[in-house]
Amino acid sequence: MVNLTIDGVPVSVPKGTLLVEAVKKIQQEIPVYCYHPKLGPAGLCRVCLVDIEGMPKLQIGCNTPVAEGMVVRTRGEKVDTGRAMVLELLLVNHPLDCPICDKGGECDLQDYAMAYARGTSDVADAKTSKPKGVDLGPTIVLDEERCVVCQRCVRFDELIVGDQQLVLKDRGHKDMIATATGEPYRHHFTGNVTELCPVGALTSKTYRFKSRPWDLTRTQTSCTQCSVGCRMNADVRGGTLLRTMSVESDDAISDGWLCDRGRYNIGYVDSPERITQPLYRKDGSFVQISWDDAFALWAKALHDAKSAPESVGVIGGGRLLNEEAYLLGTLMRAIGVRNIDWRAGVQRQATPGRFSGTLEQLESANVILVIGASPAETAPVLDLRIRKAVRHGGRRFDIDAQNETAALMAARDARSVALVWDGSDVALGARFHELLSGHASLSTFIAGEQGNARGAEALGLLPRDTSLDTAAMLDAARAGTMRVLNLFGVNPALNFSDPALVAEAMRATPFSVVTELFMTETAKQATLVLPVRSAFEKSGTIINATGELLPVEAALEAPVGVLSDLEVLIGLAQALDIALPTEEEVRRTVIAAAAQRSDDAFGDARYVWSQKQAVQAQRRHLFAGGGTSAHDVRIAALRPADSLAIPVGV
Amino acid sequence: MPVTKVLTAGIGECDLRDIAVYRQRGGYVQLHRALTTMKSTDVLDAAEKSGLRGRGGAGFPTGKKWSFLPGQIPTRYLVCNCDEAEPGTFKDHMLLEETPHLVLEGILLGAYGIGSHHAFIYIRGEFKRGYEIFMKAVADARAAGFIGKNVLGTGYDLELTVHRGAGAYICGEETGLLNSLEGKRGEPRLKPPFPAIAGLYGMPTVVNNVETLAYLVPILANGPEWFSAVGTERSKGYKIISISGHVQKPGNYEVPLGTPVRELIEIAGGLFPGRTLAAIQPGGGSSACIFPENLDDPYDYESLAKAGSMLGSGAFLVLDDRTDFVQAAYNMVRFFAHESCGQCTPCREGGHWLETVLHRFVQGRGLHSDLEMLHRVSGTITGLNLCALGDSIEPFLKSVLKRFPEQFEARIQTVAV
Amino acid sequence: MRKHLGNVGALLRGFSITFSYMFKKRPTIEYPSVKKKHAPRFHGLHELRRYADTKERCIGCELCSSACPANAITVIGAENSPDDRHSPGERFAARYEIDELRCIFCGLCEEACPTDAIVLTPRFEMADFRRGSFVYSKDRLLVPPEAGVGLAPDERPNGIPSDLGMVAQVKSTMESDTGYDATNRGIILKTQRRGLAG
Repeated sequence: MVNLTIDGVPVSVPKGTLLVEAVKKIQQEIPVYCYHPKLGPAGLCRVCLVDIEGMPKLQIGCNTPVAEGMVVRTRGEKVDTGRAMVLELLLVNHPLDCPICDKGGECDLQDYAMAYARGTSDVADAKTSKPKGVDLGPTIVLDEERCVVCQRCVRFDELIVGDQQLVLKDRGHKDMIATATGEPYRHHFTGNVTELCPVGALTSKTYRFKSRPWDLTRTQTSCTQCSVGCRMNADVRGGTLLRTMSVESDDAISDGWLCDRGRYNIGYVDSPERITQPLYRKDGSFVQISWDDAFALWAKALHDAKSAPESVGVIGGGRLLNEEAYLLGTLMRAIGVRNIDWRAGVQRQATPGRFSGTLEQLESANVILVIGASPAETAPVLDLRIRKAVRHGGRRFDIDAQNETAALMAARDARSVALVWDGSDVALGARFHELLSGHASLSTFIAGEQGNARGAEALGLLPRDTSLDTAAMLDAARAGTMRVLNLFGVNPALNFSDPALVAEAMRATPFSVVTELFMTETAKQATLVLPVRSAFEKSGTIINATGELLPVEAALEAPVGVLSDLEVLIGLAQALDIALPTEEEVRRTVIAAAAQRSDDAFGDARYVWSQKQAVQAQRRHLFAGGGTSAHDVRIAALRPADSLAIPVGV
Repeated sequence: MPVTKVLTAGIGECDLRDIAVYRQRGGYVQLHRALTTMKSTDVLDAAEKSGLRGRGGAGFPTGKKWSFLPGQIPTRYLVCNCDEAEPGTFKDHMLLEETPHLVLEGILLGAYGIGSHHAFIYIRGEFKRGYEIFMKAVADARAAGFIGKNVLGTGYDLELTVHRGAGAYICGEETGLLNSLEGKRGEPRLKPPFPAIAGLYGMPTVVNNVETLAYLVPILANGPEWFSAVGTERSKGYKIISISGHVQKPGNYEVPLGTPVRELIEIAGGLFPGRTLAAIQPGGGSSACIFPENLDDPYDYESLAKAGSMLGSGAFLVLDDRTDFVQAAYNMVRFFAHESCGQCTPCREGGHWLETVLHRFVQGRGLHSDLEMLHRVSGTITGLNLCALGDSIEPFLKSVLKRFPEQFEARIQTVAV
Repeated sequence: MRKHLGNVGALLRGFSITFSYMFKKRPTIEYPSVKKKHAPRFHGLHELRRYADTKERCIGCELCSSACPANAITVIGAENSPDDRHSPGERFAARYEIDELRCIFCGLCEEACPTDAIVLTPRFEMADFRRGSFVYSKDRLLVPPEAGVGLAPDERPNGIPSDLGMVAQVKSTMESDTGYDATNRGIILKTQRRGLAG
């Protein structure tokens, strides 16, 4: 530990700490633009000036490590003059269009100018005029006049994403951000630059001019669009979800980043295409019915099938919250139903059993083997962890026929090995675990497509013994032996490898229920369609790919007449006159399920998906209009001619 | 007259570009002697004892700079900075074109002195002629066995890479030069780490000026005491001064440090008849002016620092009483604003702002509030910057603004628009 | 009897006050046939103004709504496009609504406005039969181009806004029978209900 004095207060911090971090210990701040805790110092903005005793010139706090006995002043006339000068210079050409700037109200330049600048300006000349509203790519707009050239975005692309698309062009006061090739700025994490930008130079197209920050009500929740479960802030204005922002302190899960899917695929909750009343198929077309009638019809169908519970099937659960998944399993088993399976898409497995690891383990792995679909597609933020590991010297192998042997050789000698798998091809996963099982520190991450697949698996939404799984249920339904099919938040007509089978199976089933937000391909084939809430409209918990129990908070009201899956299940239980577990019991079961690390992994290799099928099924891209993004008018407006590979939660 | 010829010896008398002529005059003897009879630390000791200071501008003691290299890392690089772009400086240019083998020998000696097996020279993009001459010199030296594997049969490998820049002033800053050499944007790096710890390609690196390295040759030939006997207490040895401006015989003159300023003007033929001296910019575009009262000061690092200026690269710009100092200040500021890399705020924004304001003064459209602003801003920008370029913008402006306020006031707009 | 006489005296005293006012100047006016003249800076109904080239002054910055102590103003911005340009610059107010029942006519919106778009006119007659009609949206607030633009506030003599009330000159502001949909979501829900019902 190093002892120093900051503003007269003795501080003790670890060796190597930068002054800018050390002052946080005494609840002080040093203003910064170019410095960012995740990007490190750059020494460009020169606003973090501090006065260190014994140094003739002001020093920058962002690149000065603490030293024993150092005496630092973060205010005082000398510091204030220098800082005011830098801010004055930043404002020489910065336009004063704060009233129409999306950053206005949460802008570092505004805040620091109020706190540290002189308040007046000697500038008698016109400000330099530069292009505004420059289209940087499908998601980002650049205002060149507002840019303060802190290079945070450039360094984010270089250090965090690692593909160096954004660069500085030109020199001196003409310095400007642009993509190196002049092509549109696009990768899976572009939205993060809008949060990194300390001014309003880089802003999101979807949020452009929609609101001012002080209008927004913020709710911290977890993203449910893939199995990483990043913590995020949902900002709502007047009942409209306008944007989602990362949680910078979320080191455990997201590392402070969000992918573009989690950030931009949100407008569907406000889509006018959402269904808001139960729909019942009568004489070939849907009619609106009341919830009471819907529950009565559903309960009657289940009651009629009571004598033959094997003719009732339940598919889905990966999009339900833990509490809902648990209730679904309990309720269905209470009426004797055994055919329950959450796996409606390509993912066949969500829990890596005893190999389960934490994201810190992934980050510090020496060798990372990636099998199946790319985690950049299925769980983008997990991929950022892999990139971080690679940056710290880890070796990444995206396994194919050529490099398999080399990868296994490298893994054998490595201190710690991480296996990242999309969970689709069970035989492939089992084979790699077999090959690597001798390794002492193997951790496996199943980067799945559904937000709460692990929760559904942990809470028992799996076929047991002789009961049927999804494919078997659909086969049976096509053969005409299924009487009731219950589909919860799944769209197998789009995601399942054989969409024709799904359609035929649904048509051959006398009574099929689908809970959905939209009239999806599957819902169109159903007998009864029940409108349910999106993850932004209900509260509960999920279990992410690493087994963390994460809270989901309701950020906005659901449309009138729309129930959550939980309320739907409660309504059904009442119609069936079945007693449900108490809230306390549900809570305890969920916590226990999250804590448990199952040892019996890789038991189910009966239904093997080919890699090709898996990849095909995952090609529903944000900007190609797949999945929920199909219902988002804001995304539709941004959609470029060719698709960007950001798959969409379905 | 204290004009001496050390580095400049032979220039104009014989064709020093010819390796045979150079060797006939004692060339490459010191390299041979060093490689065969001296340890590399002996070269370092000689440099340290001679009191040689960096001739590029900062004046940092060369031996001390070399001694910062961490001993445990065997890979280290010597980079010769020949990106001479300081306004008013033209000495490296001359050395490169007139006596390329001396430069080359200096580089090789320096590389041996720090124990480097790979030296680089970064030549300014505009020096096309110098580059071609130097490339021929390198080819000749390579043929003679001074460069490459097993130099002169001593078992010492020494490779040289010649890199031609693209003509940015900022690439003369040592870390900007290293970035440019690595193929990146020519932007100075954040220090620490200093190049001696992590420089070119992350390895310990020494960056030295052409003149600094060239002086190693006579220092080894005549002994460090010969060098340290000349000059003042802390400014030892000789220096090539590029004298320009309102003098009758502008040019490069090699003199011992500590020569009085008045004598330097006389060496260069004195002022034009009927003119009086107004100011001297003694150390290139980034230095502040000294004035007639400093005429008897010795021309060395300490005296000039005391007078509020600096010796810099030794560009000696004489300005007489007919100088338009507003225009001169505008030209200086415009140069630095144009050459700013744009990384850090004070240099990027401040340079451009001062340029805009001074442009108005040049056009006679200054404002009273501008004068106040110029005083305030030109006193604050220095010291806030990432590299020395930002600190170079305003010394000239500040000194002439203080000395000749009437010239600025005369350009203030009197008629309301 | 003496007691009653005393009462008559009191009556007379009382009536004498009444009679004395019969011959004084009447303070009441016969509104609405006669209208009172207000102070020059009277705060009345709002108006959204235009520039001389008929572009809207309002840029949808929401500073008025954040300055409003009564939370009476709702603004939702949108981006101008070359084919559909409302205001100079990039942003304009796609929705601008003032709930005149909530408004306390303090004029802070006028103070906050960076473009002098929202101003308070001397008009005060806003009576209507439905609460919903007191929510004035852009169609009733924005000065129609044919009404002219008047003077910019800093060009008015003594800063006194004598040239206001132009919306009223051109069109009645009491003809709206639209309901109140305060938010986007309100509209969405309404259309959803309508869509499913019809």
